[in-house]
Amino acid sequence: MAEPAQVSLKELEKKQEWWWIAERKRSKRLDYLRKAVWKKGALGGNYAPGIKVDLELPTLFTQAWDFWRFDPIMLRRAKTNSNVLDNITIFITDHAQIMGYMGSAPHTITWRLDGASMVNEELYNEPGIMPEPQEESLKKIAEFNAYWGGQTAIDKLARVLDPEDAVKFLSGAIGWGAPTSAYGYSGKNYEYFMTGKRGFEDIIAEIDASIEKAEDRTIGLPGPDILPLYDRIQNWIAMKTALQASIRWAKRFARLARIIAENFETDPKRKKELLRIAETCERVPAKPPRNLQESLQYDHFIQILARFEAHEGAWPSRPDYYHGPYYDKDVNVEKSITKEEALDLVGEFMIRAYEVGGFAPRWAREGLQGITGTWVWTLGGVKQDGSDACNDLTIAFLQAARLVRVANPTFAFRWHPKVKDEVMREIFECIRHGLGYPSMRNDPILINNAMHWHGHPLEEARTWVHQACMSPNPTTKHGFQPMRMASATANCAKIVEYALHNGYDYVVNMQMGPKTGDARKFTDFEQLFRAWVRQMEWIFSLLVRTVNLGRYKDPEFFGRPFLSGISERAVESGLDAVSYVGERGNCWITAFTYVENADALAAVKKLVFDDKKYTMDQLITALEANWDGYEEMRLDFVRNAPKWGNDDDYVDNIMIRCLEECARFSKEIKCPCGNNWPILPENVSGNIHYANIVGALPNGRRLGDALYDGGVSPGPGLDKNGPTAVLKSCGKIDHIGHGRAFLLNQRLSPSQLAGEKGYQLWRAYMKTWADLGNDHVQFNMVSDATLRAAQKDPEKFSEVIVRVAGYSAHFVDISRKTQDNIIQRTVQGI
Amino acid sequence: MPKCEECRKFFSLEEDPKKGDCVQRVVDPRQAYYKAKPVTAEKDAAKCESFEKK
Repeated sequence: MAEPAQVSLKELEKKQEWWWIAERKRSKRLDYLRKAVWKKGALGGNYAPGIKVDLELPTLFTQAWDFWRFDPIMLRRAKTNSNVLDNITIFITDHAQIMGYMGSAPHTITWRLDGASMVNEELYNEPGIMPEPQEESLKKIAEFNAYWGGQTAIDKLARVLDPEDAVKFLSGAIGWGAPTSAYGYSGKNYEYFMTGKRGFEDIIAEIDASIEKAEDRTIGLPGPDILPLYDRIQNWIAMKTALQASIRWAKRFARLARIIAENFETDPKRKKELLRIAETCERVPAKPPRNLQESLQYDHFIQILARFEAHEGAWPSRPDYYHGPYYDKDVNVEKSITKEEALDLVGEFMIRAYEVGGFAPRWAREGLQGITGTWVWTLGGVKQDGSDACNDLTIAFLQAARLVRVANPTFAFRWHPKVKDEVMREIFECIRHGLGYPSMRNDPILINNAMHWHGHPLEEARTWVHQACMSPNPTTKHGFQPMRMASATANCAKIVEYALHNGYDYVVNMQMGPKTGDARKFTDFEQLFRAWVRQMEWIFSLLVRTVNLGRYKDPEFFGRPFLSGISERAVESGLDAVSYVGERGNCWITAFTYVENADALAAVKKLVFDDKKYTMDQLITALEANWDGYEEMRLDFVRNAPKWGNDDDYVDNIMIRCLEECARFSKEIKCPCGNNWPILPENVSGNIHYANIVGALPNGRRLGDALYDGGVSPGPGLDKNGPTAVLKSCGKIDHIGHGRAFLLNQRLSPSQLAGEKGYQLWRAYMKTWADLGNDHVQFNMVSDATLRAAQKDPEKFSEVIVRVAGYSAHFVDISRKTQDNIIQRTVQGI
Repeated sequence: MPKCEECRKFFSLEEDPKKGDCVQRVVDPRQAYYKAKPVTAEKDAAKCESFEKK
């Protein structure tokens, strides 16, 4: 490969080496900041060299936690976090304009040591991340672990969980995640704090008024109505404490910026920037933002502050919608900054999110290879009145993404029929540049879906953002879900596996599901299908029970004073934001490894019960042997059984029947608010993580083989009838009534989609996608040649990005198995 | 025994001169930055490797 400096932009474009083009086109500031990032996402499953766990935060946290041990839990956490925010080392990177990180240095990952003892033990044993001197660090960590053992959120929950549920959940076979808000996805009540009307001082004034009112009542006429107020006053004080500490922390950046400007900086331009940073951090979050820099800073501070309180696994956000008015004011109306200056701010806003990372256990690192959480930012969509919400900032974000080329955050675009062509062209450019994002979401379908499943009124549903990879979550007082605990994530391939093995799991050697009968003796498909339904109900019930309990007990076991302080419901009621009281309910079961069920059931129906080519006894024997010694038979099940994604009603009808059963059951299981639990098939890189956990299946898969990617994506290479057939299969799903959302991965050919003709082809494809009522699609548009070259020479291709599932990652950061799985996906000619 | 307040890197708070920040320049393999850590003016700096007399 030629040195990029010697190659013209045109030639680089022809070779689709977009990362070099980005380097040349971005400003010097963005180039410096992008290259300055310490990548926190694990490479495959391991942290990159140089990444160290931060021990300053756990030290400050543990000292204060012990000191405030007589306080109620929310107040204790608020005071403890205040100690951290007041004393942790802060830093300002050269050229940076947006401030805030949770660690004491840029190369550090944070450690949530009050979440789960088993995570703490794993950290102790994690090689390579101990700060020097290692021996001293290990000693310190051992002391922390001894202190926290038994009093983390999960330790407390484990004591009240049903023991059988606990053992089966902890087997790792059927689900993942942790039922606590210490690790989860907190939705944000953006309509409360991000409308330009409220800063933290305004919220504190609201809290003070509530405290005053409640205190008046507690010294009034005795009665049962007074009693809950004592706890609520403590909670309000906790929220206020958290917000006040946040303001002080932001002002520490202001002070540092001034110190640098007045004592160290010699460049007058940078001096001016530093003074503007100081002014910004003095303004927000204390007061509402007045311009784009303050607005972006306000949002970033809030996300980082939430991460001081818990290990946030997602980053729900709608930046073009909430910051767009400030962009318009600064760039178009007042012309106080240029478009290029705005692009610098927007690009840095993305980079600041990219650098965020915390320690995660190995299963999470394997399931989210290359990234530290699913930072899926929502763009586009409609306003609450139904009009197009796209604005100039939507375009700026799409342009900035191509310049900074980060794998996290990514975008998901709320498509609707009124989106203008200029926006669609910018989206296509991002896809064409191989970013793998934005993913495309069908806004009209998903708004209806939100109303169908959770009863959101229309205007509320229209505020939705992605709570994690896929699930729409409104941002209003009653509509937003403050906490989604990832442990309602089902390894769904186990459903058909257990139906075939009488509920027994041969991988973990345990009776897991109910005994639904010896499949060797099944005489027709209906018997197998009934067993499938019972196993599905059992897995979903166990996971949902666990999460419901986690949600119910979280205010007692963990407590979220900061999250509460930025949530209107909590500020108004004095209850922890994680409390389900006053929430409409917006739960979903993430259905990993789902499509195997349809292909496996179809294969049994076709080859055993319809064609009678094999008996159930032969099949179960072959599966128990992991197909070993039955290769010819296995290939028959791969090649001659119908496969999802080919517009073949035989298998598609089975898929729909399974989804109908899930949808029925989704309305029987209820969240703490009494609302439904629809499923959401998707995978992140769980299809690789679960490869060694799911046994052999009748679609020809062996234990150890990668599972299918996506949530409704066909198996890699098994969609042989072209992209329209894939869309038609997926279009048979009721994307409103069958579940919450359905993830579809598609690979497109970069050479076919080059130029204007390529754009028009893609638009036609998107029209078919929308006409068929699909809710999601995302694209990889990087050639096999580039991916193979990246495997051979990772250093030269370190900036190649791919769409893994609900997220993107740098290709070199994912395991070889995941890389191969992406290459194996069918490249669709459209 | 040197104290933090005698160091060039110590910047006291206007509202409380007994408290302040230790501000240091760091250049790591990827980026350069300034960092600030709260310290008290009276803190013993005898073992501080980055102490620089004012």
